[in-house]
Amino acid sequence: MAGAHAAQYAPEQAVSASRDRGEPSWLADARAEAARAFDVTPMPTPALRPWKYTNVAGLVIDSFAPDARFAPFVEGAAPEGGFAGTIAHALLDTAQAPVVQQHLGAVVKATEGKFVAANAALWTAGAFIHAPRGKAFAGPVSVTLEAGEGAIFPRILIVAEPGSEVSVIIHAASGDAALLASTVVEVVAQADARVRLAFDVRWGDQTQEFALVRTRAGRGSDVKIDTLAIGGHLVKQAFESLLEGEGATSTIRGVALGDRDQHFDFVTYQDHIAPRTVSSVGIKVALAGYSRAAYYGVTRVEETAKGADAVQENRNMLLSRHAKADSDPVLEILTNDVTRCGHGATVGPVDKDALFYLQSRGLDNRAAMKLLVAGFFASVLHDIDDPVLEADLAAEVERKLSVADY
Amino acid sequence: MSDPILELRDLKVSITEKPDIQIVKGVNLTIRPGEIHALMGPNGSGKSTLASTIAGSPTYTVNSGQVIYQGEDITGMTADERARKGIFLSFQYPTTIPGVTMVNLLREALKARRGQEVPAREFIQELRETLGRLKMSEDFARRYVNDGFSGGEKKRAEILQMGMLRPDLAILDETDSGLDVDALRTVAEGVNALRRPEMGILIITHYERILDYINPDFVHVLVGGRVVKSGDFSLAKQIETDGYDPILKELGLLQEVAS
Repeated sequence: MAGAHAAQYAPEQAVSASRDRGEPSWLADARAEAARAFDVTPMPTPALRPWKYTNVAGLVIDSFAPDARFAPFVEGAAPEGGFAGTIAHALLDTAQAPVVQQHLGAVVKATEGKFVAANAALWTAGAFIHAPRGKAFAGPVSVTLEAGEGAIFPRILIVAEPGSEVSVIIHAASGDAALLASTVVEVVAQADARVRLAFDVRWGDQTQEFALVRTRAGRGSDVKIDTLAIGGHLVKQAFESLLEGEGATSTIRGVALGDRDQHFDFVTYQDHIAPRTVSSVGIKVALAGYSRAAYYGVTRVEETAKGADAVQENRNMLLSRHAKADSDPVLEILTNDVTRCGHGATVGPVDKDALFYLQSRGLDNRAAMKLLVAGFFASVLHDIDDPVLEADLAAEVERKLSVADY
Repeated sequence: MSDPILELRDLKVSITEKPDIQIVKGVNLTIRPGEIHALMGPNGSGKSTLASTIAGSPTYTVNSGQVIYQGEDITGMTADERARKGIFLSFQYPTTIPGVTMVNLLREALKARRGQEVPAREFIQELRETLGRLKMSEDFARRYVNDGFSGGEKKRAEILQMGMLRPDLAILDETDSGLDVDALRTVAEGVNALRRPEMGILIITHYERILDYINPDFVHVLVGGRVVKSGDFSLAKQIETDGYDPILKELGLLQEVAS
């Protein structure tokens, strides 16, 4: 089924738009290939396990007009030899363009799926953060995604060379109009690089986001990704870490606070390929109103990953009796030599004893709920690198719970 | 004589989810300002149920009778309304609340009790003072509520809250249980240090030993959901020496309890 704006999703259009922007021919070719993939790839169905709880059968991507003017706003000073700006600008920089060409689309292939193909064909401006060998960014890089209506295709590439350090915070916001965001983030963490990436998700009430964040983690690298999901009508995010280098560490942390008919869907995939790799997933969700959440996580320990350490946890706190959560953490262990492998999932209402305890101290139901949710989220929020963001999110959680429907 | 702080009038209480099981079977009790009452009794006699009921726990339902607090019938009030009016329950098993520091809890509780935000400077000063009177370090206030606390720390944390909230009625539910002698003395001294003359106190206990530190004016023995005997401090002493059996025998209740 083709949408009203299908023409703009066609390969010819992707190529001509690329030429109009003055992009190199390799990129125009890549976009054409992606547009062809988009054309022939079916929408995912609930028969595919990661899509079990988010049915997109009724969603027609090309019924949303692509916003050609959309551009991430990138702020942050890169160390010498590095870069923090749009991909479009990086392509004009003779030192940076080859790095972009080498990695863009190498971590996430355009042919992998419908949403990814649309992103690869139609992303505009993009964001490129490059930490050069042995250098650290002085402060976090901020990438702001702000849009009105239609469809946007945020594309972010983070390349951290050996021994480098970088922290990136992605702020996502939109208005009240219908918006579709198909986001792709590629992270290349080379040997001993340290990468911190946080998503501050505050989309508007009519925004649907489908995001794929994939990391290739090299030897001794340490990558931590946080998602802090507050806003949006539908937020579906997949975090995939390929632990390719010995001793690589991947940490995924998330909090989500739902109300009304908000829908969150988190997918994690931690693939232990090299020996002594470490992964830790911890996602905490609190749901008010009629909101719902799904979690599906696979942690896979390959035969080659001797001495792997993997933990996976998803906890869901139901603040109203209409809220609903599904949680399915999965461990696939193909070696018998593991240091630790564990997973856990909980879905349940607010602890009655804790609620009575707080009420017996004079807190009314809402004040008690606020404190319990703040406490529930604390371990994740305390652990984000940016104290300003931490305080801001805590205040946002407080505000949202002040009007949430229990 | 001053007006009572608390009056229980023929109070009958059952478990909310099991309405057929009545635990408190008609209790009358009057506590006036400045008085310390001890409620003693064997396990399962309904002591903690009574404590929770006065505090407004939804786990229990009042079948008949009334809870009158400072002249007002509060039988149907929620726990938080009662707390804001000055009723404080020190829990037998204080709940762990991960991620919420004692400071957070105290600020919110104090705001609720006073009906307005307490200025930060004033709050910190009061907190320091109260911690000092309980011989507790300031680190304590930065820890998560009851998370990883020892038995003694949990009970001291309860008394810290009592000290900050300045209730008119404090119910100490088995505050002595699980404490060694030193911890018990520290907690009891804390209660005495933070006690205000007009406050009424109800101490729920199985053993007499806490009463050596906080001397009660009245002692009541609860058996099978009824107050079977009341007296002064000497009654507690008698229980310490002889246990509950002589009282039960005297009242012809030993059979009932055994069966």
